[in-house]
Amino acid sequence: MASTLRSSAARRILAAKPTSAIRLLPQTRIAAFHASQRHQILPPGPQVVHGTVNDPVPVPTPNAAHGSYHWAFERIIALGMIPLTVAPFAAGTANPALDAALGTALVLHSHIGFDACVTDYFPKRQYAKTRTFMIWLLRASTITAAVGLFSIQTNDVGLTEAIKKFWKA
Amino acid sequence: MLSTRVFSRGLLRSARPRSTAFFTPRRMITTESIPASSADSILAAQRLIRPVSPHLTIYQPQLTWYLSMTTRITGVALSGTFYLYAIGYVLVSPFGVDMSVANVSKKWGELNGAVKAAVKVPLGACFSFHFWNGVRHLVWDTGRELTVRGVYRTGYGVLGLTALSTLGLLVI
Amino acid sequence: MASLRQPTIRLLASSTIRRASPTVINSTRCLATLAEGEIKKKEPLIKKFSIYRWSPDEPTKKPQMQEYTLDLNETGPMVLDALIKIKNEMDPTLTFRRSCREGICGSCAMNIEGTNTLACLSRINRDASSTTRIYPLPHMYVVKDLVPDLTNFYKQYKSIKPYLQSKEPAPNGKEFLQSKEDRKKLDGLYECILCACCSTSCPSYWWNQEEYLGPAVLMQAYRWLADSRDQMSGQRRDMLDNSMSLYRCHTIMNCARTCPKGLNPGLAIAKIKMLMVKGA
Repeated sequence: MASTLRSSAARRILAAKPTSAIRLLPQTRIAAFHASQRHQILPPGPQVVHGTVNDPVPVPTPNAAHGSYHWAFERIIALGMIPLTVAPFAAGTANPALDAALGTALVLHSHIGFDACVTDYFPKRQYAKTRTFMIWLLRASTITAAVGLFSIQTNDVGLTEAIKKFWKA
Repeated sequence: MLSTRVFSRGLLRSARPRSTAFFTPRRMITTESIPASSADSILAAQRLIRPVSPHLTIYQPQLTWYLSMTTRITGVALSGTFYLYAIGYVLVSPFGVDMSVANVSKKWGELNGAVKAAVKVPLGACFSFHFWNGVRHLVWDTGRELTVRGVYRTGYGVLGLTALSTLGLLVI
Repeated sequence: MASLRQPTIRLLASSTIRRASPTVINSTRCLATLAEGEIKKKEPLIKKFSIYRWSPDEPTKKPQMQEYTLDLNETGPMVLDALIKIKNEMDPTLTFRRSCREGICGSCAMNIEGTNTLACLSRINRDASSTTRIYPLPHMYVVKDLVPDLTNFYKQYKSIKPYLQSKEPAPNGKEFLQSKEDRKKLDGLYECILCACCSTSCPSYWWNQEEYLGPAVLMQAYRWLADSRDQMSGQRRDMLDNSMSLYRCHTIMNCARTCPKGLNPGLAIAKIKMLMVKGA
């Protein structure tokens, strides 16, 4: 059965040979492109070039608070989070100072991370309004989360204990 | 093409008086000169219709940008979970919903084991990955392991450590 | 010029023939075997190429993938050879940039099988079962087919002032001297040909190419920061000290992975970041 099938397939290929020989000739085929503009992720909008081709792009005014200081601050917090995420759980007992340090670092680290997302995905030129909205939404969320965390620390069991309880529940 | 041009030139020459310059350049296509200002506006109009070449959908999946993307996604997932609970703690509590850790963790603990696992496994993996890749990024920020070879070596290292520590987190 | 060159070649050729007679014998033997028809013509190796097409003459038509079929045994080894063959023999409307065909001009930078590289340095994958897909550099405005508009890229390059800046004239009145060690710091930086492969492989550059300078331009920024003869490093650092120009780099490292010249823009950017903190 299988052999007859195979031989018939072979015959079909043999029969198809003349056509494949024709196909050796230059041949083109056009297919619709799948990533059409309408379905693009974060479309950048039409191209607009400011100034002539020979003008350099404008250089922003230096602002270390958003530049090098921001970067260094971000690294210090990230570096601090390595021991802070491990120590309270390794220590076993809840330490209010460690808890507060972890909570502060967590809120700042989260805020910086979300802020980077907003800056990356909502460029000023195309999404000025969305960007402003997202920035204020993020600020409000961070403050609310910080308030919530503060009451967990002061009125409830504290951050480390809370995480432990949820994980082991 | 050439023959037609020669032919037309011959026609033109016969039509014109003989005294004109012998080699006057003649073209079949007509051009018009436009001032620089409107040339710019034509270019600007052309730019507006240009499509953007495909990117995310066609770029080869590589460890480099896939791990970077995963870092961001895991970070957003972890911080998002934290924000949701902390914001809920502030905003929902005044409406009489008991958002205290004791109550919510008790409700969470009463859920089906499969449901809990479906949340805990990804969350543990998110934390593990974000932690180890964060360490990798901090090593990079000192200028170490920042070669293609280093990127791949540390990348696979992070994936291995993530698997191990996820298992570890699930055991405790 | 051509007429001048030809007699010289003929002269040289005749002299070699006279000097090395064994070669002549060998070549005649080869001719004999050819005449006997022992060398068979190779089986055609049919390969499909799928190429991104868009023309400004038909702006309402969406970008499309057009498929071309080539016999690889009749084509040169590189993707650029295939493109030139298609343009010469099949479709003269196919548009792409090319110049040096040896990886030093950076004109033929494009996305081949998912990675950005130079068509002239990229070998055709001889596996005939797979289609080679060719796109323009990712997330760029397309002028036509495989030609992206690099205006913004060049404008960004200009903005970092890619030339030596000094406050005082050279100490010896002639030129700025540099120690061997200081010169070595520029290795791996100055070789960049600005083909834009790295910048257009960077997701951060995809989302923010108006404000983020991108790996290629930042590596050149570092090339001038690292130059012992340049005296304006303070201003150069200030130009990058904002949230967009430099700090949209998230060390994704697609740049170093894709660079057709084997350079490492990611490392150069990391060094700028360290320099910005230290202020050295």
